[in-house]
Amino acid sequence: MADVPLSPTRSAAAKAGGASAWTRLQTNRNWLGLWFMLPAAGFLILFLAYPLGLGVWLSFTDSRIGRPGEFIGFENYAWLWGDDVFWLSVFNTLLYTTVASVLKFAIGLYLALLLNRHMRFKAIIRAVVLIPFIVPTVLSAVAFWWIFDTQFSIITWMLQGLGLIDHQINWLGDSTMARASVIFANIWRGVPFIAITLLAGLQTVPGSLYEAATIDGATRWQLFRFITYPLLTPIIAVVMTFSVLFTFTDFQLIWVLTRGGPFNATHLMATLSYQRAILGGNLGEGAAIATAMIPFLLAAIMFSWFGLQRRKWQSGGSDD
Amino acid sequence: MTDARTSTSRMAVTVEQADATEGMDYLETRGRRLVNLWLPLGVIMVVLLFPFYWMGLTAVKPDGELIDLDGTFPLWTWNPTLKHITTLLFETDYPVWLWNTMMVSVGATFLSLIASIGAAYAIVRIRYRGAQWVGGLIFLAYLVPPSILFIPLAMIIVQYGLFDTPFALILTYPTILIPFSTWLLMGYFKTIPYELEECALIDGATRWQILIKIILPLAIPGLISSFIFCFTLCWNEFIYALVFISDASNKTVPVAIVTNFTDGDIFRWGSIMAGALIGSLPLVILYAFFVEHYVAAMTGAVKE
Amino acid sequence: MNLTRRSLLRSTAATGALAMATSLTGWAKAWAQTSMLHAPEEGATLQLLRWRRFIQSEEDSFMALVAAFTAATGVPVEVLSEGMDDVQPKASVAANVGSGPDMFWGLYSLPHLFSDRCIDVTDVADYIGNKYGGWAPSAEVYGKSGDQWIALPVAYNANLINYRQSAIAEAGFSEMPGDTEGFLELNRALNRIGKPAGMALGFASGDGNAWVHWCLWSHGGNLVDADDNVIINSPETEAALVYAKNLYDVWIPGTASWNDSFNNKAFLAEEVFLTNNGVSIYAAAQNAAAEGDEKMAAMAEDINHAYWPVGPVGKPTEFHICYPLMGMTYTKYPNAVKAFMQFMMEAENYGPWLNGARAYLSHAYAAGEDFAVWTADPKFAPAKPAAYRTLTAGGLGSVGEKAASALADFVVLSMIANACSGRSTPQDAMRVAERQAQRIYR
Repeated sequence: MADVPLSPTRSAAAKAGGASAWTRLQTNRNWLGLWFMLPAAGFLILFLAYPLGLGVWLSFTDSRIGRPGEFIGFENYAWLWGDDVFWLSVFNTLLYTTVASVLKFAIGLYLALLLNRHMRFKAIIRAVVLIPFIVPTVLSAVAFWWIFDTQFSIITWMLQGLGLIDHQINWLGDSTMARASVIFANIWRGVPFIAITLLAGLQTVPGSLYEAATIDGATRWQLFRFITYPLLTPIIAVVMTFSVLFTFTDFQLIWVLTRGGPFNATHLMATLSYQRAILGGNLGEGAAIATAMIPFLLAAIMFSWFGLQRRKWQSGGSDD
Repeated sequence: MTDARTSTSRMAVTVEQADATEGMDYLETRGRRLVNLWLPLGVIMVVLLFPFYWMGLTAVKPDGELIDLDGTFPLWTWNPTLKHITTLLFETDYPVWLWNTMMVSVGATFLSLIASIGAAYAIVRIRYRGAQWVGGLIFLAYLVPPSILFIPLAMIIVQYGLFDTPFALILTYPTILIPFSTWLLMGYFKTIPYELEECALIDGATRWQILIKIILPLAIPGLISSFIFCFTLCWNEFIYALVFISDASNKTVPVAIVTNFTDGDIFRWGSIMAGALIGSLPLVILYAFFVEHYVAAMTGAVKE
Repeated sequence: MNLTRRSLLRSTAATGALAMATSLTGWAKAWAQTSMLHAPEEGATLQLLRWRRFIQSEEDSFMALVAAFTAATGVPVEVLSEGMDDVQPKASVAANVGSGPDMFWGLYSLPHLFSDRCIDVTDVADYIGNKYGGWAPSAEVYGKSGDQWIALPVAYNANLINYRQSAIAEAGFSEMPGDTEGFLELNRALNRIGKPAGMALGFASGDGNAWVHWCLWSHGGNLVDADDNVIINSPETEAALVYAKNLYDVWIPGTASWNDSFNNKAFLAEEVFLTNNGVSIYAAAQNAAAEGDEKMAAMAEDINHAYWPVGPVGKPTEFHICYPLMGMTYTKYPNAVKAFMQFMMEAENYGPWLNGARAYLSHAYAAGEDFAVWTADPKFAPAKPAAYRTLTAGGLGSVGEKAASALADFVVLSMIANACSGRSTPQDAMRVAERQAQRIYR
């Protein structure tokens, strides 16, 4: 933020005072850049770009664990195309992503609006809210596993104590309940991230705008709809892209809670690809499932790009 | 108020806005405030924190009470026991797993920070040809999730002879961390005035000296933020550690908790929960000291 | 008080193991002089990766056996443990990379996934077979690839009906019915008296696979025929699905989420009164009883085991886990590996070890019938003929990587789970499984 007002000064200074020094460096700037980029580029090419390409190649082979495969064209994809379990996992993934993201957004925004109000202990409350996000997913998932136990669930016990139900709840053993349970755990972990980032966004909205609108007789809803929401849109776009992306590719939560069961009702594409590739030994087929996730990811990235562009366009050249 | 409005400083905006909301909150009666603010906030907080309470309670409950919901009051225990925790610390490899996690996290975080400092500086300040594009690519790299990379990466790890060594993790985690921390550091570097750098250049300093002596000291808050965030991500990582590590003595805490706490078909819930709790502590402590940096990292990465 | 008793127990157990180890050592030294087929290489050391023990005393006696081997031959053996599901991927990777533990001790068809990476142990297997009355037929299937032995099918884990005698008596049955119809009646009766049964239908590789394969086979259904052609879509399979659904309907709710541990927990907590498992539930109850838990003592008294009921096919169709032990060709000490395998299977070691396993493991060769464990407790009896009653992974088809994939992918289990839940009709469930199986057996 601070650099922006300075940038005109900088170019002026570069043109006037430091001209010689800058031109001296101008000549080898590209080489210098390369040197500084080298470590990062090395990591990303060796362990990200290369495996990404290799994964796509693997999906066209019949590799198994312990044996390099041969090129078999689209055979893996052809089998997947007629595979009900694969399509079920696609459906599960989309359902999981959509429901969890929408609810995370709604609750996260609501929590952000609550936290944005003037109150005591605000700093402490904000710090506490973020804890579910700090604790490693697997470790909190283990707690949920025990909470969602069929026979010894504490939630069931509490509901029974309140007289609301008289039977055991089949948390992870019924397809609908299992889906709801894993989605709940995902929301639980994701809400703090969304709430805290949106809160940061809210704090940049000038209060004067609210004041002016209130004087004009705007209702609370109108304040939100016409001031908060438009100003928050760019940050919402980015936050939700991340949220959607990480929900879509979730693995650990499902793996701990259900391993894809019951009846494959919670198998996501990531867990199915692990099951087929590592446990079943069919690397090629697992890679095909992973590769099938890429188009969905691209869609999410396009969405994010759009959000970023829009932000640039919104802030224009004015004060960013 | 009017003066504040003209200011572009974010600090002033925050203060001003806090005033504004406070002003509006006067319109609310105490009762409405209870219903509109404290009640929903309280419910959310209870839901967010209950699993930790349950984790902690399970870790100190005697085995008998764990599966006896009707005979005892399950939300409390009058006979806390340290048995699960001592079993965990003295009869399992838990200390080794903690140490592995720590070593891998610190190693991967340092490598990532070094790589990202170079990359961020080059993109923001050296501005070589195509720097904008590289910045964009790095952002895209952030969006490539581990769950589509683990299968081919497993083959690569085996090829490079890294399978089942800590280096399998130390060298792969940076792919998750570098994009994020580069993006974050770019934001911090941008805020450092160019004049400082220009003066140094004129005085004959090299880029390297400038980076070490001028830029980094000024970007320390950013470095702390990205260190903490990277460290947390490492600690949290699961799928690479699950696939690339085989020997129990090389496992990290999250993987060991899930795979090593069953005696055949008996789950030791008390020890699992104690393990989960103790495994979370280092992060929570770190977080308690650096809340502001953590929040800055999270929001910074999103906003830049 | 409780604490001292527990530590006392622990220390007596330790001295027991120690005493056993010293008595073994004398014999072992003599064995190394006279009977050992392959002398270990100079300076050999071994690493063995095994499935993680279910019963502590089994591991203790196994470690005593290992210690005796080391004392007799001077070859140190490091034993690593992994969860049951994790052994296979680890062994596959090690076979691929060409480095890792010298021996893998896994499940079912593991050696057949990479038969060319397994040491030929034919002479050891023949020696043991000839000396001890011959291997069980199923053991030959698991151990041999062609005419060659690539692994020793060391032992079987008998998966049995575990039940509470008092509960089935209350339900009006004096003993466990021997046929599938009677068994269904018993399950219904248990449901009526509020003491339901339940078996795992989650992705439980041990208990889940055991009961669903029993159910399929007992009605004459099969995944593939002898030539590995997929034949799952059949009236017999449909009958099995209908039968499974009938059982499921009277079981405790929630079995679809059960993994291998849930039935143990629910049984010990008196939530279910009949399930399928190894004898480890009984062992857990006895252990708790030994620590002074009176409720568990009463329960241990009441627990009993039974064979699986026989279905319309008219012969036992049980599915017990086989644990084959293989040496890897990349090992630097193949002779030490063979010596260890031979040592382990000699009755002087094998018998006491199985005794320590308290019927959790059953013998793989005929002479094992006379082991002390089978007279130690009448409740162990149904575990005794496990190797002779079990069918092999893959059913009629080959024991190999395809059968292993089908098990790891839970093809049969998912089919039965889908039909049980009512989410799909038996026909649909069969079609999905057929497709899955065709994909694997392509």
